Formats: sequence, C-alpha cells, structure tokens
Amino acid sequence: MDSAVAFLTSKIPFLASLPFWVVAFLVMLVVALVILGFALTYEGIATYIERKVAADIQVRIGPNRVGPNGWFQFIADGVKLLMKEDLIPAKADKFLFVLAPYLVFVGSFAAFVVVPFGISLIAADLNIGVYYVMAVTSLVVIGILLAGWGSNNKWALLGGMRAAAQIVSYEVPVGMALLPAVILAGSLSLQEIIRSQGGYLGIFGWNIFHNPFTFFSFFLYFTAALAETNRTPFDIPEAESELVAGYHVEYSGIRFAFFFMAEYGDMFVVCALAAALYLGGWQVPFVDVSGLSPLLANLLSLGVFLAKVIALILVMMWVRWTLPRLRVDQLMRMSWKYLVPLTFVNVLGVSVWVLAFDGKGIPALVMSLLGR
Amino acid sequence: MGLKQYLKNIWEAVYTIALGMKITARYGIDPSEEITQQYPEEKRQPAERFRGFLHNDVPRCIACTMCAKTCPVDCIEIEFVTGEDKKRKLTRFDINIGRCMYCGLCVEVCPTKCLTHTDGYEKASLSRGELILHFVEPASAEEEEAQEKEAEPEPAPAGAAPAENPSGKEPEGTGGEN
Repeated sequence: MDSAVAFLTSKIPFLASLPFWVVAFLVMLVVALVILGFALTYEGIATYIERKVAADIQVRIGPNRVGPNGWFQFIADGVKLLMKEDLIPAKADKFLFVLAPYLVFVGSFAAFVVVPFGISLIAADLNIGVYYVMAVTSLVVIGILLAGWGSNNKWALLGGMRAAAQIVSYEVPVGMALLPAVILAGSLSLQEIIRSQGGYLGIFGWNIFHNPFTFFSFFLYFTAALAETNRTPFDIPEAESELVAGYHVEYSGIRFAFFFMAEYGDMFVVCALAAALYLGGWQVPFVDVSGLSPLLANLLSLGVFLAKVIALILVMMWVRWTLPRLRVDQLMRMSWKYLVPLTFVNVLGVSVWVLAFDGKGIPALVMSLLGR
Repeated sequence: MGLKQYLKNIWEAVYTIALGMKITARYGIDPSEEITQQYPEEKRQPAERFRGFLHNDVPRCIACTMCAKTCPVDCIEIEFVTGEDKKRKLTRFDINIGRCMYCGLCVEVCPTKCLTHTDGYEKASLSRGELILHFVEPASAEEEEAQEKEAEPEPAPAGAAPAENPSGKEPEGTGGEN
C-alpha cells in the first residue's frame, strides 16, 4: 500500500499535493473495484461453465440460446434476477433478512483480497494471509445463520442451523490441512508460501510432492473445503429434496443472487488457496518468473495461476454432478472421525519430517543423492 | 470399530468415489453421447400409426355423419345439403381439435377412409377458436347462407336449421347438432 502510494505520487505530481490518506483511499477504491469486477465476471462465467459441465455429464447440451453457444446466458440470468420482485416475508425479521445476503457476500468477497493472482498481483500481501482467509470466510456462517433465522420459515431455519453446524465442524480439518504448507514455508503469507515452492525442481518443487503427508494433506484440504462451500455432496444446508432450498428459500431477485455469487466466490477462494498452498500458486514450472520483465512475468504468472484454479474448480463441479448428498450424521462422522484425526496425523508427520530431513522434500533428497 | 475397519472404510470411500467419477468423466468428455434434440429446429418423426390431428379429404367425403355419431366427445360438426342426384354435399365440416381425445373411433368407422390421422401435433394458439379446424371453407358457406337469406326474405325462426334449401325442398338432414 505505502509503496503503491509512493509510486503514484512520484509519477503524478497532482497527487503529491493531496494528503496521504486521500491517495491511499483512492488506491484502495481502485483495487477494490478491479477485484470486484473480476469476481463478478468470474462468477457469471462460472455459472455458465457449471451448467455446461452438468449438461455434458448428464448427456445433454446445456444453455445454447442466448448468444453464440449460450455464452451470454449469465447476463440474461443476471438481468432476470435484477428485474424480479424483491419479496420480504411479512413476518420476517426485516433487518436481519436484509442484512444476511450482504454479510454472506462480503465474507466470500473479502477473501479475494489476499488471493495471489501473480508474482506482484495481489491486493494486500498480508503476513497472516492464510489466517485471514480462515477468519473472513467464517463470517459467511453468521450471514447464513441470520438468513435462516430472519426468514421466519422452518426450512430456512433448519438449513441455517445445519450450515452453522457443518461449517464450524469443517473449519477444524480445513485449518489443520492448511498447516503442513505453512510449516514447510515457515510463513502465513501466501506470497511467501508460493515463493518457497519455486526453484529448479519444477512441478516437483510444489508442496504436494514434498512428502507423503503433504500429498494427503492436499486431498484432505480439498475435501474439507468442498464441505465449507456448501456444495454437493455436502449441500445439506440447502438440500433441495429435504429443505426446498434451505436458508435462502425466502429470498428472491438480487438478494438471492448475492447468496448465489457468494457460493461461487467461495469456490474460487478455496481453489485459489489449494493452488497457492499445494500446487505452487503462480510458479511457472521450470521458468524463473522473477527473472523476466515485470509485465511478462505478471501475465505469465496470472495465466498459470488462473489455469490451476480453474482446473480445481472444474474438479469441484465434476464432484458435484457425480456424488449424491450425504446425510447429516454421515457428514458429522466424516468430519470428526475421519478428517480431523487424519489431518492431525498429517501435521505431526510433516513436523517430524521437517525435523528429520532439515525441511527437504523427497524430490530434493533424490536430487541430492544424484549429486546436485 | 477397529483400526482395520477404519482404514477399510477410508479405502472404500476413495475407491467408490473414483469409480463414480470415472463414469461421469466418460460421459462428460465424449460429446457424441449428447442425446438432446433441438426441438424447434429438428423434430422426431412420429410413429407410423401415430394419431395426430384429424384430416378430412372433402371430395371423397359422402357426409354420412358416422364420424360425428361415433365421436364420444362430440367434437365433429357436420352440415350438408342433398343435391338433385341425392348426393350429399358438405356445407360444414368442423373438428374441434381442442376437444378431440385422439381415440381414433371416427377414423375406424369412416366408410370411405377419407377421415385420417395425420402426424401433426403442434397446435399452440392464442384462442380456443383457432383450435377448430374448418375443412369446408366457412366463407363459402356463409355466402351460401347470405344468398339463401336474400332469396327468402322471411327470417328463419329460432331453432330451425340454419341451412335451408333455396329450391324449397325440405333439408334432408343436418348432422352433428351436438
């Protein structure tokens, strides 16, 4: 932030005459708008891709009426949602009902701030990045709980309660599954973690190939994170066949769109975190990005990062259209009896590994045996 | 639950999920398996004996009114005049296709096989009146009626058959008065 402001004031003399906080505020505003624009565009395209993936898996064609091959379907959907009547149930708690969608959306959008898009493309490289994402995405629970309570509807209330139970339970394995990467990098900053995965090893420098424990950690994290985004097979908060639509059953129009966008935003954040912590983030295999010119380096790293994230999102969609929904007790059993113990074993294993092999992974050890 | 069972459970979960995802991936990747038909652009040809909309081949029709009599839902209305050579001539042959239940009895009973099922099935309309199919031009029938009225200045009493023979002959019969 300070460096950006200093850079701008040195380039544009007019800004130097303004007080520091005005320039800082302007920079924040522009960065926030850029990220918001990116998030909304991504969410629109993701809904289109999700429908196409679903159609492919179900041997259908999918949306193909609006625009070439249906590419403008999401714009039509957005316009439709904006034009819809904004219904608030008569006996709803109006304040909470109106507040809830914004809390949910803010919770998922605020996590975009620390997503490392490229070598220097990050809104705020917080030194507690991983922790910040964990904390901010937990805000979503409060929004969902408020939506369930404020709707004054039994299905909504049941959905909200289930969501709270589910997200709070899965917060534990998510946090524990992220720890191995943090231990290896010795930092909570996402950029630091990504930089620690570079080097001459290429894709074998990624944390997922560091040792067997990190390999399993990645899959454990992905499973637990899938549950945190409330998507099938973990979508019991909105279980259509049991709760109609769960916590957002009373919402319509643009308020519903906020919940919808928050879900896709959550997907992006979760996949970005998985890519950054275990799949090398924006590290281009076998190319030292920091040695290139800034523009080329940023574009290359942005492309590689987005490719990794989109691949993970496609896997999420694939899982969604493959697996049926879990029961509530099955869900809890999976979290507390399987994921939590396994992630603890992984954290212990990685810690011992780091002590035993001085922080070197299997690929590095093999290379040192070969004499490098 | 022993450790063995615990590990077996995990293995089973991973294995079965992988199996399911393999199947969906196969369907997802192969685009030739899409079975959707783009309806308005491409249509499926109905079966050979498909009972679609009714069609009457008017020149072959002898106006025997068998179809109107056998129709369980009374959707066929027939009016005719008897000519000099005792041949009946249709003045009206209307089928209310909105009321028709496609039972096929009228087609079975038709002696000249002039009433047939076509393979048509698309009849979306803005009003129910558009669902009545007129096989004899209603305009010509009205003209005839107008000529009849001119020839006979005295208005027909209510309830009488609308088509009266201008030559003074008794109308032989009007079918399908529902």
